[in-house]
Amino acid sequence: MDLGTVLSVILLAPLVAAGLIWILARQRAALAMTLSLGAAATILCLSLWLFFAGWDGSAFEISTEWLTLGSLTLDVGFLLNDLSALMLFIVAFVGFWIHLFSVGYMNDDKARGRFFGGLSIFMFSMLGIVLANNLFMMFIFWELVGFSSYMLIGHYLDTDEAAQASKKAFIVNRVGDFGFLIGIIITYWTFGTVNFNELREVVGTQPQLVTTLMGLLLFCGVLGKSAQMPLHVWLPDAMAGPTPISALIHAATMVAAGVYFLGRSFFLFTEEALHIVAWVGVVTAVSAALWAFAQRDIKKILAYSTLSQLGYMVAGFGLGSLYGLHHGDAHNALYYGIGASMFHLTTHAFFKALLFLGSGSVIHACHHEQDIFKMGGLWKKMPLTTLTFAAGVIAIAGVPFIAAGFFSKDAILYVAMKSSQPAFYLLTGTALLTALYMGRLFFIAFLGKPNSASAEHAHESPWTIVLPLLVLAVFSIGGGYMIMYPVTLQEVMGHWVPHPHGKDHTTMIIISAVASIIGLVLARIIYGAGAATDKVEKTLPPVFAISRSRFYFDEIYGYYVKKVQDRLADVVAFLDTLFISGVLVRGSAAVAGLLGVTARRLHTGSVSTYVWWFFAGLVLFGAYAGGFFDGIIQ
Amino acid sequence: MTTQLPIALLGGIGEFLTSAGHNQPVLNALLLMLAIVVPLVVALALAISGALSERAVKVCGALGFLVPGLISLWLAAVYISAFPFGGYAFEMSADLGLLERFGIQLHLGLNGLALPFYIMAGLVGMAAGFYAIQSGVERLRLYLILLLVMQGGLMGVFSSIDVLFFYFFHEFALIPTFIMIALWGRKGRKAVAIEVTIYLTFGAMITLAGLIALYLFSGAEQFNMIAMREAIVEAPYQGTLFGLLLIGFGVLVSLFPFHTWAPRAYATAPAPAAMLHAGVLKKFGLYGLIQLAYPLLPQGAADWAPLLLWLALGNLLIIGFVTMSQRDLKLMLGNASVMHMGYAFLGLYAYSTVGIGAAIMMLFAHGLSVALLFLLADVVEKRGGTSDFKELGGMGLRAPVLMGLFTAAMLASIGLPGFANFWGELGIFVALFASDTPWVLYLSLIGIIISAVYGLRAVASVFFGEAKGEFKGGDITPAEKAPALLLLISLFVIGLWPKVVSDPVNESVNRSFKDAVPTVTASTDEPTLSE
Repeated sequence: MDLGTVLSVILLAPLVAAGLIWILARQRAALAMTLSLGAAATILCLSLWLFFAGWDGSAFEISTEWLTLGSLTLDVGFLLNDLSALMLFIVAFVGFWIHLFSVGYMNDDKARGRFFGGLSIFMFSMLGIVLANNLFMMFIFWELVGFSSYMLIGHYLDTDEAAQASKKAFIVNRVGDFGFLIGIIITYWTFGTVNFNELREVVGTQPQLVTTLMGLLLFCGVLGKSAQMPLHVWLPDAMAGPTPISALIHAATMVAAGVYFLGRSFFLFTEEALHIVAWVGVVTAVSAALWAFAQRDIKKILAYSTLSQLGYMVAGFGLGSLYGLHHGDAHNALYYGIGASMFHLTTHAFFKALLFLGSGSVIHACHHEQDIFKMGGLWKKMPLTTLTFAAGVIAIAGVPFIAAGFFSKDAILYVAMKSSQPAFYLLTGTALLTALYMGRLFFIAFLGKPNSASAEHAHESPWTIVLPLLVLAVFSIGGGYMIMYPVTLQEVMGHWVPHPHGKDHTTMIIISAVASIIGLVLARIIYGAGAATDKVEKTLPPVFAISRSRFYFDEIYGYYVKKVQDRLADVVAFLDTLFISGVLVRGSAAVAGLLGVTARRLHTGSVSTYVWWFFAGLVLFGAYAGGFFDGIIQ
Repeated sequence: MTTQLPIALLGGIGEFLTSAGHNQPVLNALLLMLAIVVPLVVALALAISGALSERAVKVCGALGFLVPGLISLWLAAVYISAFPFGGYAFEMSADLGLLERFGIQLHLGLNGLALPFYIMAGLVGMAAGFYAIQSGVERLRLYLILLLVMQGGLMGVFSSIDVLFFYFFHEFALIPTFIMIALWGRKGRKAVAIEVTIYLTFGAMITLAGLIALYLFSGAEQFNMIAMREAIVEAPYQGTLFGLLLIGFGVLVSLFPFHTWAPRAYATAPAPAAMLHAGVLKKFGLYGLIQLAYPLLPQGAADWAPLLLWLALGNLLIIGFVTMSQRDLKLMLGNASVMHMGYAFLGLYAYSTVGIGAAIMMLFAHGLSVALLFLLADVVEKRGGTSDFKELGGMGLRAPVLMGLFTAAMLASIGLPGFANFWGELGIFVALFASDTPWVLYLSLIGIIISAVYGLRAVASVFFGEAKGEFKGGDITPAEKAPALLLLISLFVIGLWPKVVSDPVNESVNRSFKDAVPTVTASTDEPTLSE
């Protein structure tokens, strides 16, 4: 089978599944689940076949023209190279396990047809982003992924929470897409093409055409999709959707699409743009880590954690690319930014999906209890879940060598150390905070004794839920080692990731060890196992208040929408009614009416008046004919 | 291998159509005539026959809408299969004796520019007709007669090469709108009907003056589009003529500030009338500008461009904000349709093959989507008893299929890829950056945020949340679903395969605007963008 066909099948299988679900299986849950899971399995099998047998690792591109209007030509095509292969692997692998998890998790849901249809549409859209060979096509699937997210966040449609959250996600993403599309159009008119390979060639020969503005506008899309500040506000609210969705879309894949896009288009970023990108990432990472401390809902903690880790990835791209520009000795130096960010994206996909699925297992077992202070003692009731969740916590904290997260964070901290000292200190501090708040989550929810009846009655989840946890746990621990990946994927992971050498190597290990272990130990000390209340809230209220405020972004945006935007809309509508409809239209009607009324006054019905007017007119006419008015009328 | 079979199948169908179509030019021209005549004859038959059963009325009505719809699809298939071809096809003309002296004949035909509008008229006509037939209104017979007259007029508008008949068919289709608003509208219908009648007649008068003036000053021998294309209008008059046409057509298309008739008219009108008017008839103005004003009056277009820019932005941004403030579903949709005309005018403003071609694609898609939205909004109103957002809510659980269709329609109209509207809007945005004023791109893109805000707010208010208010009847019925699916599937098909419509449009636009389009010369670093 040729590569083009294989890729087409990979892309279209979930779309076909979604179509069949819509036509045949809207009410038949078992059929819907089979179709969706089948599509996910097809994608995974074909992808693995590609990596182990069918693909030799060299870049492959195929494309067809899809629309032509004048000088604008839009193509649809696939570009399979190191970067897209890695992303394909992540989406296919993590996606499959989450599909399996959903079968168990959603077993009592009444709208499974809609859910699994949406899940398949999401896979189609995400694979479109991964395989797209040009900016317009990527933008199309970018929007489609936003639609899938809207549909799935709004799954529980009888709740107001879901209604608001789905709307917010779509609109905030659209704000990002506003800048993104401007950037794409400017790129198109500057270079005459939007194809990634062609753009790279043109940039190679005419680097002066690349402007900082172009890169920053394209980065707007990343701000929206990867929830960087200030467009981060939609992600915590998106937790209103079912947990598998939070795992797949809002942790592992969709939000990572922004980082993937940075990798695809890295040559369009100037040095100034990279500085801004890096700092946006750093600020997001630090702020989100601070905000995680005041959260009680297990999913919200993980959501802020995701925001923080996404900040790491974006910062890794910026700092890594800057490092590569200035230390361009190795021929892969250009790719250090991509390497650092993609490596962390990969490990994060594993451990964050694991953490979310683990939280789903807990929520399912505790009958939809999500407050960690009402859990506790789960280690006795749900040993496998606890074990795998612990693996996830170790991974995200970055404990040296036994955590995939250690290797990837290591790379990012290393390029930070070499490129920008302030960024390095902030990111290291954030690593400590990460271990701290994740430790807080683990110790309160899993250890100690149960704090509520639902936690009392918890029991281990069925195999469809536990098996994905086990698989992801293995990858969360071992994902830093190259042997876990097919050979064809090791280019990105092996050679593009900047590794510290010699003395730096030891320094980084020590720093990571200190940050992670101290963070976890401190969490145990401060919060205690199985606590029912938040100690920091009681003992340090101001600190807690700062964390809970989340710097008032949601409040500011809410204020803007209600008091500024809606009021402006009402004022404009009022003026439209008053002036245009009222004064101009009704006014002109009134004028016509007035003329009519005036004209009617002439019809008095009295003959003598008519005779009078007749003679007056006659006199005037005679005067005109006699040249009386010649001076006035020319 | 798997991709080859469908291609072979399509190729086979294409060959059949090509041979059938091109071996029967007379038949096709006759079909063009029939598409106009059949609805009018059916309307006449319904009017003059005596007592007829409800069933007979419905069957006749269905026939009256089905025939032009199928003809439009057939002719489209024939035209598209003859690609590359952008000129006039299926021409037929009939002398009418008396009018010959003025150069007027009944001259019908389709070119690449008219084709999308023609298909749209057929599809929306079928949908509106079927929806009307099952809607259970009083005096169904008169209702259908008026709609059939509208349909005949619409088919005539877009297949007319002769300009007087182009205008005549438009009036033919317009008058029933007024009557339908007055008789079957929502509350306030009498006042709205009077306002709309006077306002639109005023616009039509200005248009007629502009068209006649164009004819006289162009020195063409016949009052039809082909003859007038070959004539050139002298420079000093171009500005005035273009202005007359812009204002006249503008009133009919609800260009800002001549837009206030539209939201109330569509909200008050019965759904099928709103579908045909907002969906199809409103495009008459833009179609006229593209077929006549722009090719013949390039200097005039350039003179008026600065004003047009601000008026189009007014449509987009000012009416966009007005739309966001609406609390009634149908009024919101009416305002939204006015807002989208801003995009089309911006595409014309960009004055390049990309801009004008994309404007045509956008209008095609918009016709289908706005008709679909008015249909579904009417279903919502029937179920919930009201159109007010404050009183509606939580319909999603009680009517899931309706929710799915409505959400899809709304997402289509706000430009989600996968539906036809996306291609048109994208093309317009791309074209705007290459116009004389690239900054207009930044302002017009705000439109995508505005439309997401009002669109999703509407969906959330009506369908999400807890069930609120009354709910009569069940989910959307198959009879209501059928016309909705017809429109939605068309939007989806063109959304996936835009080339079907965009190729003939592209051919035609390249042909019509070769001489008239200004060459945009960029800086030395950028590639030249000449069309």
